[in-house]
Amino acid sequence: MHISEGILSAPVLITGVSLTATAVGYGLKKMDYKQMPKVAILSSVFFVASLIHVPLGPSSVHLILNGVTGVLLGWSAFPAILVALALQGVLFQFGGITTLGVNTFNMALPAIICFYLFNRGVRSENNFIVLILAFVCGFLAVLLSGVMVAAALVFTGEPFIQAAKLVIIAHLPVMILEGVLTAFCIGFLRKVRPEILNV
Amino acid sequence: MKNKPYLILIFIFLIIIMMDVSAFAHKVNIFAYVDGDKVYTESYFNDGKKCVDSKIEVFDNQGNKLLEGLTDEDGMFSFEIPSEDVIDGGLKVVLTASMGHRAEYIIPANELRGVTGLIKEKIEERVSAVSPEVYLLDLKEIQSIIENTLDEKLKPIIGEMREIKKSQEDWISPTEIIGGIGYIIGIFGIIAYFLSRKK
Repeated sequence: MHISEGILSAPVLITGVSLTATAVGYGLKKMDYKQMPKVAILSSVFFVASLIHVPLGPSSVHLILNGVTGVLLGWSAFPAILVALALQGVLFQFGGITTLGVNTFNMALPAIICFYLFNRGVRSENNFIVLILAFVCGFLAVLLSGVMVAAALVFTGEPFIQAAKLVIIAHLPVMILEGVLTAFCIGFLRKVRPEILNV
Repeated sequence: MKNKPYLILIFIFLIIIMMDVSAFAHKVNIFAYVDGDKVYTESYFNDGKKCVDSKIEVFDNQGNKLLEGLTDEDGMFSFEIPSEDVIDGGLKVVLTASMGHRAEYIIPANELRGVTGLIKEKIEERVSAVSPEVYLLDLKEIQSIIENTLDEKLKPIIGEMREIKKSQEDWISPTEIIGGIGYIIGIFGIIAYFLSRKK
């Protein structure tokens, strides 16, 4: 879901950069330095996740893990994802430097949305509810990212419905896999280290 | 508190072990080579999936579009080298695949000329210098014999070089991954330092 350099028009890129800058600033302001290790670890996980290719479906796709990043980090997800994407761009040539703003926003906004939607839910007492909500969280984050990528591409002349369909169908296996992974991850953390779930 | 980072580090290393580093990445590649008077291009995602029905555009070094076309089901697209007066420098081949992926490949001028221009010029020069018409046939015959033999002998070597060039582009080394994680920890370490000084 990394949009490459040279695809998007200047207004889209600039909007992406300014929105991301604002959100990252807010994220940093809200971030407590005691949370830093957690943010760094999840940023690393996000960084590595894009190397895990999902060999299902019609196109070439990989894990994203923005759902679990969002629900564990809240607003700190913005700096975490920005750093991870910047390094992916520099080291692996995924996406690019000019598209960093747009790509960060596309991945991190769904993470924040998932945080607000599922923040309470995944900390509930009922084990079953937690797992279901975690699954939906992982699933929805990728879905929303797909919609946002499609929205960014609209300005390049691709019709929205067509672009969205393509992105979402390609990512359907990823959505399901991420749902399962998020459920597994939250379930595991809940048993082993419940304090990590507190934002 | 003691073994929390420890557990998550194990999780990250499990992820690293799980993937086959060289193949799983997420960007598109385009690779072009000259053979005879045609340019052949191959387009594929890093995991080896071919880009089907993707748009290929060819530009000269001034940025004028010369031609465009779609890749076939093997991700291949070929076109004849435009005549000499159109291409002054190299050619730029741009691939636009679905979901905001884009890649380009520049064919340097000497590679193109080697095939179309220079050789012909050289023969003609030599011929006119020697002048008697008898030589003309002989020289051309010899030329074509040499070319054919060379083509045949060099074919496996050229093929191998293509593979090497390709794999170099695709390769993501473990050093880069570990290095990237190192950067992330470092960056958040610095942020943590400044945040902790403020408070």
